[in-house]
Amino acid sequence: MSSADITPPEAARWAARAGLPLPDDRHSAIAATADHIHSVVAVLRELNFGETPPASAFRAEKEKHDAAV
Amino acid sequence: MQPYELSLAAAAQEIRVRRLSPVELVDSVLNRIERVEPHVAAYVAVFADQARRTAREAEREAAQGSFRGPLHGIPVGLKDMIDVVGVSTTASSRTRAGHRAASDSTVAARLRAAGAILMGKTHTHEFAYGLTTPQTNNAWDRGRVAGGSSGGSAVAVASGAATFALGTDTGGSIRVPATLNGVVGLKPTYGLVPRHGVTSLSWSLDHVGPITRTVDDTALVLAALVGHDPRDPASVAVPGVDYRPHSDPDLTGVRVGVPRNYYFAHVDADVEAAVRRAVARLEALGARLIEIDIPMTRYIQAVQWGLMVPEATAYHESTLRTVPELYQADVRILLEAGELMGAGDYLRAQRARTLMREEWSRVLEEVDVIAAPAVPMAAVPSGQETVTWPDGTVESVSDAYVRLSSPANITGVPALSVPVGHDAAGMPIGMQLLGRPFAERTLLRVGHAYERTQSARSLAPLP
Repeated sequence: MSSADITPPEAARWAARAGLPLPDDRHSAIAATADHIHSVVAVLRELNFGETPPASAFRAEKEKHDAAV
Repeated sequence: MQPYELSLAAAAQEIRVRRLSPVELVDSVLNRIERVEPHVAAYVAVFADQARRTAREAEREAAQGSFRGPLHGIPVGLKDMIDVVGVSTTASSRTRAGHRAASDSTVAARLRAAGAILMGKTHTHEFAYGLTTPQTNNAWDRGRVAGGSSGGSAVAVASGAATFALGTDTGGSIRVPATLNGVVGLKPTYGLVPRHGVTSLSWSLDHVGPITRTVDDTALVLAALVGHDPRDPASVAVPGVDYRPHSDPDLTGVRVGVPRNYYFAHVDADVEAAVRRAVARLEALGARLIEIDIPMTRYIQAVQWGLMVPEATAYHESTLRTVPELYQADVRILLEAGELMGAGDYLRAQRARTLMREEWSRVLEEVDVIAAPAVPMAAVPSGQETVTWPDGTVESVSDAYVRLSSPANITGVPALSVPVGHDAAGMPIGMQLLGRPFAERTLLRVGHAYERTQSARSLAPLP
């Protein structure tokens, strides 16, 4: 377990802060799964993003719902 | 040959010249469903009476010389993530009990208008959040996984229980089951096929597309699905294109990129051999092979998870708080753990995606298509959790099935999977063709050219 891993009580607390109360018997499994996900996505911290914007974008103009079938 | 065995193009031709009626075709497919369903369980629900009624209407129109196009009277299965007015979109989940779709999804409406006949809704891995579809069995070996998440759609098409089907693809969910069942799957360019009325797994990665028995069939279905719909914010207006590939298989001048890295690493030897043979076939047809390097491979899984995990959790926010016990265990824990991912991780994934798209677009300036394995190994026995590669690396089956598919979801480029042989156990192997955004026509041309060098594909060897 690395220092960045979360403990089962921390998993429960973070989930509660997100508005999801977790039953006691799920804390350990969710902490382990969350740690695994974290280990996968953490490599993105190696990247130097500079001015790179996120890929998500939207068009300001609201389009009309006139889709043709 | 029985009508249920016909490809879409062949059935359409028979209907057009009035040698086959939609009623005969639908009856043949319904009989086939009755025969194979006990073995494969591809369908959540079959609408036999409604299908027969619609077939009689299609037959009346045909008798009057009125044809809606190549899908007129053709039986289709829709993944049960896709809304059809008046029926439940179960997403193969107990959380959807009692659901009724208030209107057709855009794709269901377009297929209906094109004359396709809905046979039923096909199984998905629950909410498309998985790669095996455990309710459904592989069409070639019922002891092996169907692949997912569009497992029911792929198995229905492979076993003759639908002439074609639609699936959804967030990290490979069309191409993986299509490959594992020996049929053709297309994940179109992000934004080409509207997703309005399709249950989301991950908004920024979700696609809808066809699963068919031939590349030619894929072109016919795609033509009916495309077109801008502002109700899907990702939908793009693109000029109409004739997707149908020419019958001439000449590929002179086509530049085919063959990855030096990533796509052939940790791949079963039979899969690599079959795909390299298929690539050599493309070269024999006139294509020029160019070795390429896939960029940023270290970050592919991180971006896929960084986008999908929080988006899926957000979609399920309400149900996860009210009826969590109704989810399957594998899906529930991913949704719950997704609550613990921070916005920083999500934004890093979105920014890395920007970089990845730029890098991929540079590669796709050098080549017209990239040819690679669709999945690293054929269908594994049901219940197998991991795969061990010759260097000792252990990988989960789900991670392995997603690995070669997810780059196209992240970058949005179109990706077509085409059967190219079988492994030592007789299970189907697929080649993946990736191209520039909105270059579906090129993928279909190359896939069709390859297909024409092979003998006609038969249905999966079911009873």
